[in-house]
Amino acid sequence: MSQIDGTETHPAVMENSTDEYRIQSFDPDTQMLLKTALKDPSSVDLEKVSNIIMDQSLKDHVFSKEAGRICYTIVQAEAKQSDGNVFRRNLLNRLQREFKDREDMRARSIHEWVCYVTFICNVFDYLKVNNMPMVALVHPVYDCMLRLAQPDALKNEEEVDCLVLQLHRIGEQLEKANSQRMDELFFLLRDGFLLQEGLTSMARLLLLEILEFRAGGWMLSSTANKYYYSEISE
Amino acid sequence: MSNRTPDRRTDATSSRREHSRSSGPSRWSHCRKRGVDGSMRTDEHEHTEGRHSSFTTPESSGPVSRCAAASDWGSQVEDDEMRRDLHRDLQRYRRRILAVDAPHRERKASSGSSGSCDSKEEDSLETDEGVLLRRQKQINYGKNTLAYDRYIREVPKHLRQSGVHPKTPNKFRKYSRRSWDQQIKLWRVKLHAWDPPTDNGTQEDNEEQLDFGDIMDIELDFPTLTEPAPQAARTGVMEDPEGSGTPVKVQRMDTAAASDIA
Repeated sequence: MSQIDGTETHPAVMENSTDEYRIQSFDPDTQMLLKTALKDPSSVDLEKVSNIIMDQSLKDHVFSKEAGRICYTIVQAEAKQSDGNVFRRNLLNRLQREFKDREDMRARSIHEWVCYVTFICNVFDYLKVNNMPMVALVHPVYDCMLRLAQPDALKNEEEVDCLVLQLHRIGEQLEKANSQRMDELFFLLRDGFLLQEGLTSMARLLLLEILEFRAGGWMLSSTANKYYYSEISE
Repeated sequence: MSNRTPDRRTDATSSRREHSRSSGPSRWSHCRKRGVDGSMRTDEHEHTEGRHSSFTTPESSGPVSRCAAASDWGSQVEDDEMRRDLHRDLQRYRRRILAVDAPHRERKASSGSSGSCDSKEEDSLETDEGVLLRRQKQINYGKNTLAYDRYIREVPKHLRQSGVHPKTPNKFRKYSRRSWDQQIKLWRVKLHAWDPPTDNGTQEDNEEQLDFGDIMDIELDFPTLTEPAPQAARTGVMEDPEGSGTPVKVQRMDTAAASDIA
């Protein structure tokens, strides 16, 4: 996490922030805008910045996986500089609007839907309030997870992959926030694994792994780890 | 001031906000440090009505109306954050007042009576979350002004004189609703002395102060100043921090037109 202090203006640090926040995919002007937002948030249109980040997250899966980070930094910078919340508020409300229309989004483009879920989970992961996850996002995130665990979604490897990746990253936090819904989710996942027809073997593997992962207290035993992740040399 | 309408529902609040918002951004943004959510634009959420941080919770139906209104994630997170900050502040405050009376604590513990100083402080400690939230929002509203910004920069804490310099009311002390609202009002009025001057030389008053919502019955139309004499008018007001002379103050303020708070 970059610090908001005098070193921000150092050319080497400026360059680092491009990599750090994965903003290479933006055009130079937008990159400049984002960098300014990181250093001097009150000098930019934060609503615009939040929309830029949101729009890109919906298109670029790689970006969406870590976009929460740049959001966090801007939120901190704004809070420190002017005690403001404009960026966070705009970001959250935009997330909410997209959330409302998520079925349409999914019907339009699985890829966009998967990007959205990745992004909202990333925001949940990074944007904490007094070191606690944002309560307002708990149910929406669960809603997304449960949607991904539905039969029609389990058939798409892309969605299964998203589901397990997010559970790896924020599963434990989610469960702490609301264990009942996690139970609900895992009922669906067990059913899916056992009963769902048309699952690819990769999808089944992913589901089995996440079942073991949670059963192990959100980590894999070393033997399970070996099974899933090491190369078997014959 | 004593004639507050019993109706302090959200509709009254929001209709007042609607009206004042229609004045346009320029009159607002001058002394208002920042809008809320780019606040003066039309809101995309039909049901949030550009939810301001100044939304105050009517005493009678605190949780219900709060939940009903704060349906946007932005507000929910802000409220959540405020609640957490409040609890943290409360613990800190508690520790502070206990530390002050540390010598007496032993006696209290052994006797089990509440005769010593710190329990007295504890007794007069406001812990109701709804009340604290409302008070915090009122304080935030006052701090979210250019005047406050200029004030804290101009007058460091150690140079502040009681009575002369505005002091943020202590939200953790038990006060009646009326007393508290009066303290807030006086504090806001005092802060006006640090309003930035406008371009044409007159010090326009912040109509956004009207967004006290349900706690003030304020006429939205009041005369604009031709020649400011705010300092003089306000010194008069500052002489009576206890709030016992409300009607007189009201009169004085109206004549001076130095304050928008009726």
